[in-house]
Amino acid sequence: MDHAANISEATCEIFSSMVMLDVSPKEARQRTNPAFVKSISGIVGLAGRVKGNLSIHLPADVATAVTTAFLGMDVAEINEDVCDAIGELANMLAGAVKTALDPAGSDIKLSMPSTVYGDEYSLDCAHCGISVLVPFELDGQEFSVELLLAET
Amino acid sequence: MGKTVLIVDDSNTMRKIVSRALRQAGIDFSEILEASDGQEALDVLAKNKVDIVLSDINMPNMTGLEFLKAKAENAAIKDIPVVMISTETGADIIDQAKALGAKGAVKKPFTPDLINETLGPLL
Repeated sequence: MDHAANISEATCEIFSSMVMLDVSPKEARQRTNPAFVKSISGIVGLAGRVKGNLSIHLPADVATAVTTAFLGMDVAEINEDVCDAIGELANMLAGAVKTALDPAGSDIKLSMPSTVYGDEYSLDCAHCGISVLVPFELDGQEFSVELLLAET
Repeated sequence: MGKTVLIVDDSNTMRKIVSRALRQAGIDFSEILEASDGQEALDVLAKNKVDIVLSDINMPNMTGLEFLKAKAENAAIKDIPVVMISTETGADIIDQAKALGAKGAVKKPFTPDLINETLGPLL
């Protein structure tokens, strides 16, 4: 299954139809940076036939710009609205990935979305051997969507 | 006369986005009520005359499917139409929702046109 193509298609559709912003996918790669700096990540876990997580990682200033467009209100710094908006983006992305992996919808369960943010943090997924990270460009800046899956 | 809609979603962001989509869809709503889970939705329905409910499925406390079951068991509110609006739109889940009385489903992400097409025939 082409996870990168699924992520690219879902992300572009969600941003164009819900956030009203156009984003451009770049070539998929494995994550190279050990830590995220002044960023926020929205994360949704996948459990059942497939185990892992789907996350979206955005620098803080990109996250506030995305939330401003998403909610139609000015947001200057990471707050409850930004966390909720980024969590909901992760939720929709995870739903799209789940649909691709499990069309009937009963073999994979999604967790509630969670968010992590800070000046410097790292994220890992125990036993996840499959890693696909797709960078996206938005107004000259970059964010990424990442799928980590345990090998079955 | 405008209709009253209840939006049920644990995400404040998504409740705002659905409200915006409803206004853009051109449906004449006089009032948009909100609830953050199924139990809160039941409380809102007990106190207000609501014409249609748009409900998420994956919520804490009481899920959308649990809400449908509880609503079906309450004669006073069982006939109010519910449309599921969720990332969870696999055939199995939608079949469960329809068996519990849901009248339709809208997949996130959605457009105002899709909202209009789904809700229009129910109002």
